[in-house]
Amino acid sequence: MASEVKTGDQRGFSLSQLPLTERHVGFLSILPVILLYLVISIIPVGYAVYTSLHEVSLAAQTWPFVGLDNYVEVFQIDRFWDSLIRGVVFMVGSTILQLIVGLWMAMTLNRINRAQRLITAVVFTSYLIPTIVVTLLATFMLSPSFGVIQDIGANWLGLWSANDAPLGQRSLAMPLLILIGTWKFSVFITIFTLAQLRSIPSRFYEAARVCGANKWEMFRDVTLPRIQGVILVAVLLRSIFMFNKFDLIWTLTQGGPGSATTTLPVLAYIEGFQNFNLGLANALAVVMFVFLAIGGIAYFKAFNPSSEVET
Amino acid sequence: MSTDTDESGLDPDSIRGIFGLDFRTADTLYQLLLSLSAAFFFVLIMFPIYWMLQSSLKTRTGREAVSWLPTGETFTVEYYTDLVGSSVGTFIFNSVVVTLGTIVLVVIVSLIAGYGLARLEFGHKENFARFLLFGYMFSPIVLGLPLYLIWRNLGLLGTRVGLIVALTAISMPFSVWLMWKYIQTIPEAMEESAWVAGASRWRGFRDVVIPQTQPAIIASALFAFALAWNDYTFASILLPEQQQMTFAPGLLQLINTGYGAPWGQVMAVSMLTTIPPLLFAYFLQSYLLKGFQIRSL
Repeated sequence: MASEVKTGDQRGFSLSQLPLTERHVGFLSILPVILLYLVISIIPVGYAVYTSLHEVSLAAQTWPFVGLDNYVEVFQIDRFWDSLIRGVVFMVGSTILQLIVGLWMAMTLNRINRAQRLITAVVFTSYLIPTIVVTLLATFMLSPSFGVIQDIGANWLGLWSANDAPLGQRSLAMPLLILIGTWKFSVFITIFTLAQLRSIPSRFYEAARVCGANKWEMFRDVTLPRIQGVILVAVLLRSIFMFNKFDLIWTLTQGGPGSATTTLPVLAYIEGFQNFNLGLANALAVVMFVFLAIGGIAYFKAFNPSSEVET
Repeated sequence: MSTDTDESGLDPDSIRGIFGLDFRTADTLYQLLLSLSAAFFFVLIMFPIYWMLQSSLKTRTGREAVSWLPTGETFTVEYYTDLVGSSVGTFIFNSVVVTLGTIVLVVIVSLIAGYGLARLEFGHKENFARFLLFGYMFSPIVLGLPLYLIWRNLGLLGTRVGLIVALTAISMPFSVWLMWKYIQTIPEAMEESAWVAGASRWRGFRDVVIPQTQPAIIASALFAFALAWNDYTFASILLPEQQQMTFAPGLLQLINTGYGAPWGQVMAVSMLTTIPPLLFAYFLQSYLLKGFQIRSL
C-alpha cells in the first residue's frame, strides 16, 4: 500500500494502471490488520498450544515432547482449582458492582443540568488514568503509617486496627481489590450506557409526560428497553475483561497474601516468569483461552456482529 | 404542552409521581437525589487525585502523618524538579514514545482498513468482522507468555518498536470497526463527484474521505491512548531492560526496590501521568462517547 501511495502522489495514480481488481485492493487494505493479528494473536495462541505439549526450558536447545502431561498436571494441582474459584469470585463480584455503579453514574450524568461537562470529565478521567497510578495510589492510601483510608477505616469505621495493612489481610484483600477495580472500571459501563442514553430522542419522554407517566414509569417503559441490549453487551465484555485481569491484581497484591488473590492469569504469570515452568504456564494459558472462547461464543450469540455492520 | 392531547379520560388521582407522591414533590426529590449523586461521584473520583497532588507537594516529614494540606514548612516542589534527567524521566519519555507510536500506527492502519471495508467489494467481510471481535477473547497474559518467546526469536524483545506493534494489534479491533462504520456514514456521492472531476481513488480517499473522518480519528486515537498509556502487562513482559522501560513497570520497580519507598517521587510521577487523562476527559469527552455510540465495541 505504501509504495502505491508514493507514486500516486506524483502523477495521478489510478487503479487501472495496475493489474489489480477491486477485490485485490480490498484485500490489500485489510492486509496490515490481518498480519498484525497473525503476529499478535494467532501465532502466539498456536505457539502456546505447541509449548504446552513440550517440556520447555529457556536454556535447553531442544524441547522434548511430553504430550498432555502439562494438562494433566494443570488439572491435578489444587492451585489451579483454587485459582479458578477465586477468579470467578473476582469476576462476578466486580461485574455486579461495576454494573450498579456504572449505570448509576450514567443516569446521573445524563440528567444533571449544572456542571455537566466538568462532572463528566471527572468521571471519564477514571477510564483514562493509568492502572498503575490507581494501584500505587491505593497502596499509598491504604498503608498503615500514613494512609488516609487506612486511618479512616481504623479510627472512624473500626474496620481494622491502627497498625494493620488492609491489603495484607486474607479476608480483606479480595473485597478491596474488587472495590479498587470498581473505581477504575465502572466508567466503562457508564460510557457505554451514556452513549446509548444520549441517542434516545427527547420527544419520547415528552410523549410519556403528556400521557402522565412519572419518572419511574418513564425509566421502565422508555429508557430500559433501549439500553437493555447495551447493558448485556457491556456485562459480557466486563466479565471477560475481569476474568482476564492481570495488571491490577499483580501490581496491588502479587496474588497475596499467601494466595488469597491468585486468579488464573496471576497463576500463569507466576508459573511462567517466576518458576520458569513455561510448559505448565502455557497449558494454563490454553485452558484459560478455552474458557474465554466459551465466553466468546456467548458473546456472539448475544451480539451478532454481522447485523451491526452493513456489509 | 400540546393542546390537542385529550387528558380528560384519565382519572386525575391515578397520575401520581414516584411512591405516590405528587409530581412537584417527586420532582424536587429527584433533583435532590441527582445532585447528591453527582456530588458523590465527583468526590469519589476527585478525592484520590487530590490526595495524590497534595502528597506530591509535601516533604517526607509532611507525609508521615495524615494531613489534608501541606503546611508552609512541609511544602516542596523538589519531587517535580528532581525528575529532570532522572531514570524516572526516561521512563516517562519511553511511555510518550510508545504511546505516540501506537496512536499513529493505529490511525493509519485502521483508516486504510476501514476504507477498504466500507467502500470496496470483496468477500468474507463478515468473517473478518468475527475474526476482529475474537481479539477481545485474548487475555494479555495468555498472549504475553508466548509473545515473549516469539519476540525473543524475532529480536523485538526489549525494543520499543516491539511494544508498539503489540499494542497496535491489541487496539486494532476497536478502531478498525469504528472507521468501518464511520466511513459508511459518509455519502459515497461526494467521492464519486471527485472521481468525475478526474481524481483517482487514492486522491478521493486522501482529499475527500480522510478530512471527514476527523471525529473518528480523534476517537480511535483516544482509545489507543487509553490502551497504550495504561499498559502494564505487555510493557513488563516485552521491555525487561531498564533503558526502555515505560513508567508503569518503572514506578512499580521504584516502589519495590530498597527500603523506604520514595512516595514523594512516585506521587509526582503519578500526578504528571494523570494530567493528560484529565485534559482529554475534559476537552474530548464527546469523542469518547462517539466511539461507543457507533457501537464499535
